[in-house]
Amino acid sequence: MTSSGRVVEPPDLVSVLEPPVEPDAKHMSGFRETLHFALRNRKLVFGLSVTLAMLLLALIGPLIASHPPLEYGGKLSWAPTTKDGYWFGTTLLGQDVFSQFVTGLRLLFVVGALGGGIAAAIGMIVGFTAGYRGGLVDDILNMITNVVLVIPTFALLLVIAAYLQVRGIVTEAVFIGLTSWPWAARALRAQTFSLVSRDFVDMARMSGRGSRQIIFKEIAPNMSSYLFMMFILLFGGAVLIAATLDFIGLGPSGTISLGMMMQLSVQSAALQLHLWWWFVPPGLAIMVVVGSLYVMNVGLDEVFNPKLREL
Amino acid sequence: MSLLVDDLKVYYRTLAGDVHALDGATFSLADGEIMGLAGESGCGKSTLGNSLIRFDARMRYVGGHVTIDGTELPVWDTDAMNAFRFKTVSIVPQYAMSALNPTRKIGDLIDDLLRAHGMNPKKERPELRRRLELVGLDPAVLGLFPMELSGGMKQRTVMVISTLLNPSVLIADEITSALDVSTQKAVGETLVGFRDRGFVTSLIVITHDLSILYQIADTILIMYAGHLAEKASNETIISSPRHPYTKALISSLPEVGIRYAEKRLTGIPGTPPGLLHPPAGCRFHDRCPLASAKCLEKPPFVEVDDGHFVACWEET
Repeated sequence: MTSSGRVVEPPDLVSVLEPPVEPDAKHMSGFRETLHFALRNRKLVFGLSVTLAMLLLALIGPLIASHPPLEYGGKLSWAPTTKDGYWFGTTLLGQDVFSQFVTGLRLLFVVGALGGGIAAAIGMIVGFTAGYRGGLVDDILNMITNVVLVIPTFALLLVIAAYLQVRGIVTEAVFIGLTSWPWAARALRAQTFSLVSRDFVDMARMSGRGSRQIIFKEIAPNMSSYLFMMFILLFGGAVLIAATLDFIGLGPSGTISLGMMMQLSVQSAALQLHLWWWFVPPGLAIMVVVGSLYVMNVGLDEVFNPKLREL
Repeated sequence: MSLLVDDLKVYYRTLAGDVHALDGATFSLADGEIMGLAGESGCGKSTLGNSLIRFDARMRYVGGHVTIDGTELPVWDTDAMNAFRFKTVSIVPQYAMSALNPTRKIGDLIDDLLRAHGMNPKKERPELRRRLELVGLDPAVLGLFPMELSGGMKQRTVMVISTLLNPSVLIADEITSALDVSTQKAVGETLVGFRDRGFVTSLIVITHDLSILYQIADTILIMYAGHLAEKASNETIISSPRHPYTKALISSLPEVGIRYAEKRLTGIPGTPPGLLHPPAGCRFHDRCPLASAKCLEKPPFVEVDDGHFVACWEET
């Protein structure tokens, strides 16, 4: 019945490469199979390509930019041109917009990955532990989560950012990470609670397997798309919080981020002066990165969940 | 004796107090014995089965000992029991259809299980394949997700997984209740086959279906409201039961070929007692036709004949 229908797959590179030695070997290994479905998913491929393209631009952009981002060298308020390498034009004060843009893009990925990563790690540890252990451990962790949840995070960040003399991008990312995990922890706790009572988790417990193995091998795979979505949302959230902080002038010193570009352009009345090349690229970049991550997440759900896969 | 249970007491914690679900069970299981464990819902048969392998959060160990092959099981210690689960005592759960993680391939799941017990999955592969073929499954199921299997295939897979480490005692909890009769028979025969091939030393088959026990069990243990009522060989329980509850239970079963046109099939009047505040003495006494004043004291579970144990004052 089902087995024969499953084994016969369209002959693609993956199954051709797989030597049919034993009956089991006809099936692709877990990673290869995930890859097989991942590459066929248009949403995922689209989201991933856009994100990677932006990442690539962030990585190599500062290397190919003709001018340092903060240098006042060029003519004032040039529209985008190929002359002198001012591809995105210049600001009101003659700074290279392209150079600022790619530097800011780099910082966007740093803030997103670090801030989102820290928040996801804390959220996972707290959520899994609380949901799996339950009882007193859950009560204590839940109390801490709720306390952090009701702290007016943004006001706290404002105070911290205003208090610190020298502000680096890493400090900013760490503070964002340390304050944005509670909803993730709560969501994971709820998911873990519902999965812990499932029969297969009970079976795993009755078969004498350790708690850590049950959490990572039985519970986590059932919400891998959820975990990824959580990271994407935290990544996007960190990017947006950082942009907001930067926009009101509390960004990192000594460099320039996309939020600071928008702040400076607003301060210089770029909108009224029709200097669109100054504020459109940073805003668009934030939207494109966060948006493509969201599209990617929808695609990943279909890849991770065997029931949503289309053969 | 592969399994010895001595005065095992397990209560359920509730806000209103303890529910005396299993109140002093004492019995033994010989090597190679298939024991059926029967009784109506709520009589404590699943509690007994679960307490041998894993206490859930609501269950409270009150007292008693469980010994398998001379080693006492730390049933009250969830972590210490990990070393015994699946190796010494194993279970085919009630919910075989949903016992497999939907997001993981069956082969990966089994590999993890073997590794958790310090075994090399590669070395065990040939044996695993042989056993899958034995229950009529293509070893290719190892590369499939559980949703790609039918209900019966899942059940057989779980049975193979549960017995893979050759446990001394296997508990089969209501495994036939969701199946049609011919599949029931096949599952029962598979269990007997496992015993005959030495995959499991002895078996406890928990069910409320006496007819399947009659086909596969060597002995039958009848429980009532948290107490053991009667244990005897399969033939004896069916043809000459001595405990009034067993008698009533057997007589309420319909028989093939007999017409009940003139005589109505009698049930057992009354309902089982609540176990939050169980009645003193024999728990069957308010439904029992033979009850006397003595029944307010708990009757001992004594051997009245060779291998025939009864807990009733009328028989001692």
